Amino acid sequence: MTLGPELADVVLQNGATLENFTDSGAAALAVGLAALAAGYAERGIGAAAVGAIAEDDDMFVPGLIMTVLPETLVILALVVVFVV
Amino acid sequence: MSVGASNPEYVNARVRSRRASLFADEDYRKLIRMGPSEIARFMEETEYEREINALGARFSGVDLIEYALNRNLAKHFDDLLDWSEGRLYDLVSRYLRKFDVWNLKTIIRGIYTETDSEAIQTDLIRAGELEDGTIDRLLEVDTIEDAVEVLSRTIFYEPLSDALEEFEETGALVPLENALDREFYEHLLEDISRGPGHEPQEGPEAKFVEFLQAEIDFRNARNALRLARSGADLDPATYYIEGGVLFDRADLNRLVADYDELVDHIEENKRYGDRLSGALGRLRDADSLIQFEHALDAALLEYSDTLSSIYPASVSAVLSYILAKEREVENIRAIARGREVGLDESEIEEELVIL
Repeated sequence: MTLGPELADVVLQNGATLENFTDSGAAALAVGLAALAAGYAERGIGAAAVGAIAEDDDMFVPGLIMTVLPETLVILALVVVFVV
Repeated sequence: MSVGASNPEYVNARVRSRRASLFADEDYRKLIRMGPSEIARFMEETEYEREINALGARFSGVDLIEYALNRNLAKHFDDLLDWSEGRLYDLVSRYLRKFDVWNLKTIIRGIYTETDSEAIQTDLIRAGELEDGTIDRLLEVDTIEDAVEVLSRTIFYEPLSDALEEFEETGALVPLENALDREFYEHLLEDISRGPGHEPQEGPEAKFVEFLQAEIDFRNARNALRLARSGADLDPATYYIEGGVLFDRADLNRLVADYDELVDHIEENKRYGDRLSGALGRLRDADSLIQFEHALDAALLEYSDTLSSIYPASVSAVLSYILAKEREVENIRAIARGREVGLDESEIEEELVIL
């Protein structure tokens, strides 16, 4: 599969190629975007979790688990790395 | 206007946890059967512990309960202001300004009746936006003119100085108190809603507006019913608060003259009619205004609860907590005062607002 150069072609439209944008580059971009999304999702959850822990120490473990749940996004995105 | 991102998630998590630790119905049922000192004892084992211990040496009985309640309320609401940032702070603080209004009214009345500042101080609920320093300076002044001068950098200065002239002519506190109330309610909807018909249609702010309109409407309804009931020869327009959807100024003037029509008007409103139908029915039969006012309070509380589950991460949950906490404080106070004067259990139960 050589999706990377084709993708770059589509983006650039006029046929100018982006030689360095390979498959692994695209995969890296996918993982990066997924990590960014996970970070954004964790922002709100983390804030809420810290709030809950501040009120009640027993919430530490549930709070921690809830906070890292969006990490699954990154793990799933990581599959792409092994596929290419 | 504060800048920066708002943090509804954090505030919501904390508020919901505190909401959960409010007294439940069974607790009230227990409290109703207790005397004042037992109530204080019971409160000591709950989250009022710190306040009861701090004040226990100086006060006793119902006074202890009352001051502990006020102090606890102030502590929690100050926390809310501490936690929230940005837009959320704006929305919460403008609602909590009602305690500023309460404090200012208390101080003005205190100055008017020449009560000494110690006694005024115990009645204050320091939960609003005014700084402690300002309030302390207000407690030191001797005349109402000076008090208004102390407020010169707050939003209350202009309306108060306008009302001051009228106060000097008539010698009655009503214009000052109305000015404070009006200022509070008119700032509530500021920069969210651009007047009737231009409210935001959806999203959390629309619900916020809806809730505040309900509060204003209920306030107007309550004032109108009281005026209609007392038959006092007062101009209803001076008590009218703008921003609601239930009455306009002309409606109010017309309806105050006719009690039955007033009740009909509330019942016909599509937003509140269903919610209040039971209470309105009872109002017609039993003529009990207090019952109806409690029904209004309960309806507002229920309303805010519904709103807080529609948009979980918005200001609604905070508002519903504020209301619930106030209800709790008022309920406990009603129980303690009721026991003190020897009301029996069913009479006290009627005084409570329980969902």
